[in-house]
Amino acid sequence: MTEGPDLTERELSRNDLLKLAAAAGGAALLGTRAGAAGAALSRLGAESGRLQVLDWVGYGNDGGQAMSAQYVKRYPKNKPQFTVMANEADALGKITSHAVNPDLFRPYVGWVKYFAKSGLVQPWDPKLISNFKNLNPFMVKAGQYKGKQYGIPADWGFDSILYRTDKVHPKADSFSLLFDDRYKGKITWYDDGVEMFCVVGYLFGVKNPYNQTDAQLKRAKEFLISKKHLVRNIWTSEATMNTDFASGNVWIAYAWPADYWTMKGKGLKVRYMLPKERPIAWVGMFMLLKNTPRYHLAHAYVDAWSSTKSGKWLEDNYGYGHANTKARPSSSDLLRALRLGNPRAVTEPNAHLDRDTPRRELYLKLWEEVKAS
Amino acid sequence: MEVTSPAEGAPRKRIAPSADLTTPSLLGLPLAWLVVFFLVPIGIVAAYSVDVLHLPITLGPHGFTLQAWHDFLHGSTYLGLFWKSVKLSLIVSAVVVLFAYPLAYYLALSGTKRKYVLLLLLIAPFLTSYLLRVLAWKVLLGDEGPINSFLFSTGLRSPDHPLTLIDTRFAVMLVLGYIWLPFVALPIFVSLESLDRRLLEAASDLGAGRLQAFWRVTLPLSAPGVFAAFLFVFIPTLGEFVTPSLVGGTSGYMYGNAIVSKFQTGFPDWKGGSVLALFLLGVVGLLTVVFARFLQPKQVVTE
Repeated sequence: MTEGPDLTERELSRNDLLKLAAAAGGAALLGTRAGAAGAALSRLGAESGRLQVLDWVGYGNDGGQAMSAQYVKRYPKNKPQFTVMANEADALGKITSHAVNPDLFRPYVGWVKYFAKSGLVQPWDPKLISNFKNLNPFMVKAGQYKGKQYGIPADWGFDSILYRTDKVHPKADSFSLLFDDRYKGKITWYDDGVEMFCVVGYLFGVKNPYNQTDAQLKRAKEFLISKKHLVRNIWTSEATMNTDFASGNVWIAYAWPADYWTMKGKGLKVRYMLPKERPIAWVGMFMLLKNTPRYHLAHAYVDAWSSTKSGKWLEDNYGYGHANTKARPSSSDLLRALRLGNPRAVTEPNAHLDRDTPRRELYLKLWEEVKAS
Repeated sequence: MEVTSPAEGAPRKRIAPSADLTTPSLLGLPLAWLVVFFLVPIGIVAAYSVDVLHLPITLGPHGFTLQAWHDFLHGSTYLGLFWKSVKLSLIVSAVVVLFAYPLAYYLALSGTKRKYVLLLLLIAPFLTSYLLRVLAWKVLLGDEGPINSFLFSTGLRSPDHPLTLIDTRFAVMLVLGYIWLPFVALPIFVSLESLDRRLLEAASDLGAGRLQAFWRVTLPLSAPGVFAAFLFVFIPTLGEFVTPSLVGGTSGYMYGNAIVSKFQTGFPDWKGGSVLALFLLGVVGLLTVVFARFLQPKQVVTE
């Protein structure tokens, strides 16, 4: 790790103080601006307290501790304090209303441009993240906006269809299974308007599902409303969906790779379909809040998350991929399912990487109307 | 004959002048509470609904506008959902009152010595978490839950075609009824227990049968309790969102879910969410005033 995080401890060791004094003295001797060392000292004093992390369920002290274990070991006085975000919109509401004041949070790749443009976040300094060089270059690029690294890729996976092979017999490997009349009452959709409108877009062969025209959106909305009666529920909580799936209430779910892993672990006969329309891929992106008082600590935290050790733990325990290309799961099944050997697994022509949706607000407004209809 | 409580004819005590000084101070705290935690938040929500307040991320020019109200009142989606929720809540409230009344009647008027023990048993479910009670129903009503398992074992249903109980509107009504039954029984119990028994004796002396006495004396005098009980369940269920989100599925989606979704799970649309919330508040307030006006005990008159 770089010197950055070392400079962030509230209580400095004697060695640290000597180093700083030497640095300050050296700077003065070399005739550099005397304020530089002072500024560093000032930053040190300010960068204290617990690191505020806004993250998804399961990534805090409720199961994901291993991801930040290296950070906690190094900075025991600045342990992360987690707040849960239900989704990016929820995070947006919480941040803008100052319900929480996180130092960093983790939206998915489709929101990088939105947040970068919003002025709520600032770019990372990759030089302060020693594991940055091991991160998948395609994912790293997806985290950039105007050449600056606003998002540091972390976990990744697909959004696709999980189904029971003993109960469901798809006519084709296609998103159409989510709208199959034969399985009325046994289907669950995911409560994400952009995803659902894009799924319909891909199914209808729309050229750019992430930027559909009014007519295309209208047709997709009518289609979703016409098929809603087939759907048992629209899940927002992964745990609830897993319970429903495991108990046999639903047989077909729009789900994540981890759910496939969980259901397989329960002994269910399941398959995670990669549809002919190609699955939607997502990448979790750490983003750094503007004016965070814990700039270096946030970098140290992300560095811990980006390590090969953390990556392997995530893959083994959560069934998601990790942006660290050196991380490999113990299971060869998972390696194949996630195509971990292919660094381009999340991009064309293998998958549609989730991306900025210029009309996101409209997509979600229409989705609300689908649910309320 | 006008039926009034004997207490109404009693001479009123003169209030000591010192009480005038203590009253404002006694009322001060609850009033301040009401203003700070009820009226001010409503004002803030109202300001969001007309775009006087807005989230910093909301694009476009801002300023006073009734556009969100116009969209809501001229669109069918949310008004339709509201009406669906009203119907569901009315059914739940009416059915629960019908179930609770005999229960409360027995406890209050049967003269059993164990009535308070029975009352305690009635409210015993409150000793456990609301969420747990709802989730227990999720298990019971599941496709492979105890009810369906019984149907499979008796051959009434095949495992390939279970009875769909969970994720339905019926499940929402059932669970809401179960949750609110004790709340409904309590005010009815209180109103029945405070009933002046001499009125029933008088009715009997004047030749009224038990049913007639119930219909003309007991029921009218317990009407305020019934009304309060009805409102106790109708108001919260109309804006309910936890139970529908856990056991309602797509068909049990209610107006309360739409409000939550506007504020939280969708793109933050606080303007639209505020409109939905204020509309609900307005309708509930109006209904409360109307019901309260027409169900005063003084208006219970028999021939």
